[in-house]
Amino acid sequence: LDRKVIQRVLIANRGEIAVRIAYTLREMAIEPIAVFTQPDKESLHVRTSRETQEISSYLDFKEIVRVAKDIRADAIHPGYGFLSENPTLAEECERAGIIFIGPQPETIRTMGDKLESKRTMQKAGVPVVPTWDGDPPANEFPVLVKAVGGGGGKGMRLVESPAGMKDAMASASREAAAAFGDDRVFVEKYIRRPRHIEFQILGDAHDNAIHVFERECSIQRRHQKIVEETPSPVMTPELRAQMGAAAVAAARAASYRNAGTVEFILDPSGKFYFLEMNTRLQVEHPVTEMTTGLDLVREQLLIASGYKLRYAQSDLQQTGHSLECRIYAEVPEEGFRPATGKIEIFEAPMGPGVRLDSGVGQGSIVTHHFDPMLAKLIVWAPSRDASIERMKRALDDFVLLGVRNNIDFLHRVISASDFASGKLDTDFIPAHSQLLSAPGVPPEAFVVASMKPPKASAAQDTFADVWASGPWRNS
Amino acid sequence: MTNYVEIAGKRHRYHFVYGRDAIAVWLDGRTYYLPLARPQISTHHASGSTGGEVAALMPGKLLRLEVAVGDIVTEKQPVAIMESMKMESTLYSPKAGRVAEIRSQPGQTLEMGQIVVVIE
Repeated sequence: LDRKVIQRVLIANRGEIAVRIAYTLREMAIEPIAVFTQPDKESLHVRTSRETQEISSYLDFKEIVRVAKDIRADAIHPGYGFLSENPTLAEECERAGIIFIGPQPETIRTMGDKLESKRTMQKAGVPVVPTWDGDPPANEFPVLVKAVGGGGGKGMRLVESPAGMKDAMASASREAAAAFGDDRVFVEKYIRRPRHIEFQILGDAHDNAIHVFERECSIQRRHQKIVEETPSPVMTPELRAQMGAAAVAAARAASYRNAGTVEFILDPSGKFYFLEMNTRLQVEHPVTEMTTGLDLVREQLLIASGYKLRYAQSDLQQTGHSLECRIYAEVPEEGFRPATGKIEIFEAPMGPGVRLDSGVGQGSIVTHHFDPMLAKLIVWAPSRDASIERMKRALDDFVLLGVRNNIDFLHRVISASDFASGKLDTDFIPAHSQLLSAPGVPPEAFVVASMKPPKASAAQDTFADVWASGPWRNS
Repeated sequence: MTNYVEIAGKRHRYHFVYGRDAIAVWLDGRTYYLPLARPQISTHHASGSTGGEVAALMPGKLLRLEVAVGDIVTEKQPVAIMESMKMESTLYSPKAGRVAEIRSQPGQTLEMGQIVVVIE
């Protein structure tokens, strides 16, 4: 098979993932081209790029391919979200002679249809969650209404009884139409308190497919992951072998080419079911990178250029443990409402085993135009316990002021004793509702707030007197 | 650079910024929001109506209105649907009454706290 040369890549995305993709491209001596819409013209992914192009929308695939042609890009990297799982972009690329860094359009289309993907997996012998096209039998409640074209919790509703079906279907359908341009919804058996465990897969154009171990993504709010890790604390070599084999079977059934993710749910009895396949780079891919040494974006580029996979299954092994926390502009204490504003102070945590994939920096404006995820904080350590301690330390060192965020909440989550003992499931947050309340304000915070805003240089002050005689008491 | 201060013989790392409604204080790794003292915003009309204003809970776009002027509504009845960061959320009537005013229209971008519907 002939190999294609990729020299210039248009990154059809924004935020942290656009920044992260550009890192690898530059390390490969490939020129990245950033695109942006008007509200993003001062964003970090634009400011850090030497070549940028304004577009009218991150969702206009025709415009994006036209821009890629105009600037003589060889390839488009879609990132995640936006057009990454839209087969029309992959098709438009094919027509224009541009390499789409992702799987074939047919794979995206089949796997993007959450009903069709389950049929494909069932045929391949991969266990799937019971699913219905319309109203399920009354004894199957509770059920989840989900978007056929969806993901990320959008267009999803939990329905406890048949009476709630009509409203849930209608509202999920509207949300799905707005988010994915496809209003079809289906119904799935709701498995109580499952774990969400997914496998990273890689497939090439030469019929090779491997998995790159699991990621546990059970800590979720509003059906969206906020803390991810690998290895999963529940994983045994036997279960990993079974689930890994199912993931590779899924990759083969989908003729999967490039990097993808096979999502499973694992019920409390240890049975696992195929949930869906994400035909793109996953938000939480860094934990896989930290424990295997792979750069998944580099692998994507090599696969898209026509190279064979560089690893056989037996070549891969994991070292240590990695944990990721998603930093969101939101207020967990107020129902996770999204927050906006200007980031006045931004100090990133540093030190051994700490990685920050960020789409923002000091001075960034956070608006309601885009997803509220600002950054991902990732740590690596030799063991899970050490990884948790390192993450707590890194969250302690993270200063992000000006936009309300979930940093303190994440610290409370990973400090919970059930988190430490690995007792995780997708209802972890609602089942630990005490995590949703902020602790009381210590008197020292009032002391600080009463001070003059700090100067850049001489930053030290002594407030012993205020403590002794001020209006605040350490009661 | 992190600032530090000594309070009662102990060193603390800190930062703080003034927001519109609160001072955000970062102290030794945690952030606290201290509400700024400001005049109470009255939810009462001159006519003496009692808190029937339905306001946007977050910035976003008004998708649909579920009521029209003159409609009789019950407490907690959905009155409007908004969308923020691609998620739908429902605004509910705070009390039983009649829809007196519609102040925002579908498609409009709303600030947090912006009034959508007034119930009397």
